[in-house]
Amino acid sequence: MEKVNVGIIGLGQMGKIHLNTCLQLEDANLIAVSDISKKELLKAKNAGIKHVYEQYPDLLKNPEIDAVIISLPTYLHEQAAVGAAEHGKHILLEKPLARNSSEAERIIAATKSNGVKLMIGYPLPFSKPFVDLRHEMERGTFGDVQIAIANHISTGPFLGYITENGIPKPVPSWWFDKNLTGGGALIDLGCHMVNFLRLCFGEVKSVHSFLGYRFNMDFEDSATCVLRFQNGTIATLNVGWFSRYHKVQVELYGTTDSISVSSKSSRSWFNYLKGIFVANKSPTFFNEIKYFVDCLISDIQPVPSGEDGFEDIKIIEEAYRNTL
Amino acid sequence: MSIVSFVDFNEQNMSLQQAIEKSLSLIDFQFNKKVQKVAIKPNMCYYWDYSTGETTDPRFVSAIIDVVRNNLSPDVDISLVESDASAMKCKYAFRILGYEKMARDKKVNLINLTNDPAETVNAKVGNETRQFSVPKTVREADLFINVPKIKYMSSVKISCALKNIYGCNPLVKKYKYHKQLDETIVSLNKIMKPDLCIVDGIRVTGIKTLKLGLIMSSIDPVAIDAAASKIAGINPQSLDFLKLASKEGIGNITFTPKGEPLTHFKNLFPSKTRKSKTRDFIARIYLQHLVKK
Repeated sequence: MEKVNVGIIGLGQMGKIHLNTCLQLEDANLIAVSDISKKELLKAKNAGIKHVYEQYPDLLKNPEIDAVIISLPTYLHEQAAVGAAEHGKHILLEKPLARNSSEAERIIAATKSNGVKLMIGYPLPFSKPFVDLRHEMERGTFGDVQIAIANHISTGPFLGYITENGIPKPVPSWWFDKNLTGGGALIDLGCHMVNFLRLCFGEVKSVHSFLGYRFNMDFEDSATCVLRFQNGTIATLNVGWFSRYHKVQVELYGTTDSISVSSKSSRSWFNYLKGIFVANKSPTFFNEIKYFVDCLISDIQPVPSGEDGFEDIKIIEEAYRNTL
Repeated sequence: MSIVSFVDFNEQNMSLQQAIEKSLSLIDFQFNKKVQKVAIKPNMCYYWDYSTGETTDPRFVSAIIDVVRNNLSPDVDISLVESDASAMKCKYAFRILGYEKMARDKKVNLINLTNDPAETVNAKVGNETRQFSVPKTVREADLFINVPKIKYMSSVKISCALKNIYGCNPLVKKYKYHKQLDETIVSLNKIMKPDLCIVDGIRVTGIKTLKLGLIMSSIDPVAIDAAASKIAGINPQSLDFLKLASKEGIGNITFTPKGEPLTHFKNLFPSKTRKSKTRDFIARIYLQHLVKK
């Protein structure tokens, strides 16, 4: 494969970012998109996308497509990913892999039996400060890391967004239905941090959690988990949907040194305005998609793999079970 | 000239209910004993928690309910009202912001005005007449209490009493009015004029959120907004919607202050800096550009 023909399923917030990113990639031909919104499809058509589909099963039938990026609500992941695998398409699936481990298992099985590659869309391993942190850790700069703290605090689904033409839009209602999301802040944000911590420290031995319900919903809007890793590291993971700001932070305390790395934080409305200008050109997402495409060209299994996403979901489920 | 009262609330010295009573006594507010139906309009702008200073604290509204019942009757019919907006659904906001639980505990009605039967009413501002829907709960209220916040807002500079009534418009896609925001705010206040405004200024949103401890009351929403803008370091005469509201007879920009000096709160308010003004200017221009598109 010299170039990868890509299709995007779902043109919501993430799907649009992926669309703009794919258009910048030399080794990817974005040839198809699908979305239930005719307006989004028209925009995609105007941006030069060859095939647009209202129903994603029609996109999957297109034999020209090598790989799909699935940016659908979590409750549609299994159906779309299994369908893509059965049509022989490699998959970049937005996190979390699924609502639960049963769905995750079926997705993995479908990709294996159809011989397609599956990567989970976690941006953190492609974000420069966090790439540098892992690099320093692997060089041994911090000695043995005994304590780690990973925080991911944001507005979660409680902030609507401003569309490109200035119209405020509500967050889709599926975000408020635990049955459709699989949970609250813990699964939504926790999967990012569990995955990143596993990249740093390997497998988890045990996990316990405290869940917070500040907003009186039937899903948690905050969670603190304590994870013990097999290598001896103890990590505290804090996630929340309760804040006006957005912050991702990892702190490592080792036997020789410590470090604190974080994403930039600012008031959310300003972030959103900034996002309209900048988000579509994010180097993190560019690196992520480029890596996925490069792996397909080189016939290498991309990481975080489906198995990684599966393991993350199992840990999250364990955290839900072991609440304190 | 309208009276505006300023009370410095400190929970060590008095209860919230006592502070609200004090605020009302400073403006000589007398409850009409014939009142049977009360509508209270808090500010539930989006799903921001009260601690951000963006939305009215349900405990503040709960204390107002106690004041109303004490002065009228324990059986008076009270409704808390808000409407769906472009990016907010009352169904979630009532629950997330703690109003669902509070309404249940206090045994008051929680009304989504978007689902309330409405009547079309003409509002004449200047030479132009606009039509709006007035929800039944607001229309039939004998006592309509506006419970806004004080916060900066890029489109109108400051949001307080007059802007809060914008949320009584049951139409969901309120952004349609953004091109004529000043006229719309004034129109809505003409057809849904509150009988009493009690500002929850315990926490405010300036360039950052801060505990201000202010309770401000008046029967005049224009006077309230003039006082709020002075506290926030904005000249009331520079606010187009306020001048228009005054011209249309909704209230007076000049007012007689009672209670704590206004300067006490002005000195504490997290006012704009040169840097934040530049940032807001850019944001405002950009938003105007988007709306025009």
